[in-house]
Amino acid sequence: MSTYDLNFARWVYENVDGGDKMALCMQCGTCSGSCPLGAQMDYGPRKLFMMVRAGLKDKVLESNTLWNCVSCYNCVVRCPRQVPVKYVLHSLGTAAVRAGIPAATKSDNARFARAFWWSASKLGRTDERIVTALFYFSYGLSKGFKMAMANLPVALGLVKTKRMHIGAPYMCKNKGELKTILAKAAEIEARHAK
Amino acid sequence: MTDKTSRSRTILVVGGGISGITAAVEAAEAGHDVVLIEKTPTLGGRVARMNRYFPKLCHPTCGLEINYQRIKKSSRIKVFTMSSVAAVKGGPGGYTVTVKTQPRYVKPSCTACGDCAAAATSEVANHHNYGMDKVKSAHLPHTMAFPMRYVIDGSVVGTPEGAAIQAACKIGAVDLDEKESSFELEVGAVVWATGWRPYPASNLTMYRYDDLPDVITNVEMERLASPDGPTGGKIVRPSDHAAPKTVALIQCAGSRDLNHLPYCSRVCCLASLKHAAYVREQMADAQVDIYYIDLRAHDKLESFVQRLKRDPQVGFVKSKPARIEPSGAGGGAVVCGENTLTREVYAKNYDLVVLATGMQPSVIEGDMPAMDKDLDAYGFIFPEGEAISAGVASGPLDVSMSVQSATAAALKAIRVASV
Ligand SMILES: Cc1cc2nc3c(=O)[nH]c(=O)nc-3n(C[C@H](O)[C@H](O)[C@H](O)COP(=O)(O)OP(=O)(O)OC[C@H]3O[C@@H](n4cnc5c(N)ncnc54)[C@H](O)[C@@H]3O)c2cc1C
Ligand code: SF4
Ligand code: SF4
Repeated sequence: MSTYDLNFARWVYENVDGGDKMALCMQCGTCSGSCPLGAQMDYGPRKLFMMVRAGLKDKVLESNTLWNCVSCYNCVVRCPRQVPVKYVLHSLGTAAVRAGIPAATKSDNARFARAFWWSASKLGRTDERIVTALFYFSYGLSKGFKMAMANLPVALGLVKTKRMHIGAPYMCKNKGELKTILAKAAEIEARHAK
Repeated sequence: MTDKTSRSRTILVVGGGISGITAAVEAAEAGHDVVLIEKTPTLGGRVARMNRYFPKLCHPTCGLEINYQRIKKSSRIKVFTMSSVAAVKGGPGGYTVTVKTQPRYVKPSCTACGDCAAAATSEVANHHNYGMDKVKSAHLPHTMAFPMRYVIDGSVVGTPEGAAIQAACKIGAVDLDEKESSFELEVGAVVWATGWRPYPASNLTMYRYDDLPDVITNVEMERLASPDGPTGGKIVRPSDHAAPKTVALIQCAGSRDLNHLPYCSRVCCLASLKHAAYVREQMADAQVDIYYIDLRAHDKLESFVQRLKRDPQVGFVKSKPARIEPSGAGGGAVVCGENTLTREVYAKNYDLVVLATGMQPSVIEGDMPAMDKDLDAYGFIFPEGEAISAGVASGPLDVSMSVQSATAAALKAIRVASV
């Protein structure tokens, strides 16, 4: 049984980056047909946008279409209505994570984004080893260990060719300043959200 | 206010397509003198380059022939071909128009015997067939030409070939000394019936018109199907001249697209249905698929859609194709996209792909005097402005709507030009 949230489309138009432009979509199929991941997506952008209009909030926010987009921009340059498709998908993904939808918070991309952000915000740098380790172990100890082992040859290859360093993680010099900057950014974002 | 004494009852019609011809004969038959100027060597415009007209699939000769007769019968219409407008001065009731005429190198005494063409040795791109084949440097523009007079390409002037062509004409109608000339006209009103050009398919890079030979446009399809076209009316795919077994017709190729023409060109859906009918008439086993966003059979033409929908070998796919790719095997092309009814992501091979490119106003080509204030954002001439427009110059219209708009334009011109 699908539940319909009749305010969802309006909410998306008003709160999602590019959502207002989504109202222009004429369901032509260019985006889903242009997408290199089109066949792997459960709905694809076109159908997803129709589902937004229909108010299928849960299904939209649980959709893998939000996470399979690889930001190739094919859809953005080809959409005859100039809907910024890719931006809408990514913002819907953010909305899904904020809403705590398990399909979104547990998605590979969200896990990776959290790992990336931890390193970026705490160290001021993204250290590949820390990001991958956090990403792998977000799946739990045993699965994380398996994933790490599976990628060990790649990691060693990178070390050998000096594409990955060994030793202390990279860090920025003044972490206090970084903290202040991020606090300010959070404050601005909170203001915009109102 | 224009000086009373400089007012003129003469009406100038710019563009000799079906709209310009209609406006000219209507105004003349109502008692006004009319000057009709046409840029190319013949009247007829784009209609003369159609194989047949929807919805009844009659031949373009019907409409044109009757109107040519009306022009010939009228003593009030003067026709100047190879002529366009260089400048317009004045205002409603009293315009001074400078007309520029290109040399045809053939005088009105031409009897269209064709001796000049027989003497010609070089070839030039055939304008009538959108450059799909070539014609002799001395040629008749097409079989429905008006005036029925040959034209010689400027490239032979001063060459031995030119001399041979001149010598071949027994009545001395060839004159290679003709030069570009211009003259001024005093007229009371100007009707712009400058028509359209196909939206350039090369701009649609995702459809690869430039590098895939079997991706053609709808206007080329008209020529392929025409008895006086490059293949004598046989629909073949360009790469190997084989009859296509599978044909894809792609709607809205450039129309309804903010990156190209934002408006609906209005005729292309029906033109493609007509093309499906052409293919099905010629090839009993051919499969035709029409790819569309939504089919727009305007006006009273829905019955034409229903007729084609009854043909099991004409498929309708609700999808704007995302791209066209080369096919691995020989000719043809692969049409890729998402079927929006089934959500299937397809990649389907076709022998021939026809892009239904839309209509763009011909003023885009920039050979018209500045009239910016009367142009809309796309280059169409507002029917409500000071300038009087007829047919596709005023917006995307089919032939019957063009003729209605031309009759209305004639009436407006008569009102402006009546002292
Ligand atoms: C693929 C296709 C198929 C179509 N099939 C059909 C059909 O089956 N039935 C139907 O009803 N409609 C059809 N149409 C629409 C039809 O072609 C137009 O309605 C028709 O051509 C309009 O005539 P027009 O006189 O306004 O313009 P045009 O036919 O474009 O004539 C304009 C004339 O003006 C001349 N001109 C341009 N600029 C100047 C200038 N500066 N000075 C002097 N002369 C100038 C041009 O050389 C031309 O001769 C089709 C359109 C397309 C794209
Ligand atoms: S390409 Fe644009 S108009 Fe077409 S379905 Fe996608 S978002 Fe809608
Ligand atoms: S940007 Fe994303 S949604 Fe758009 S075509 Fe590329 S992968 Fe698909």
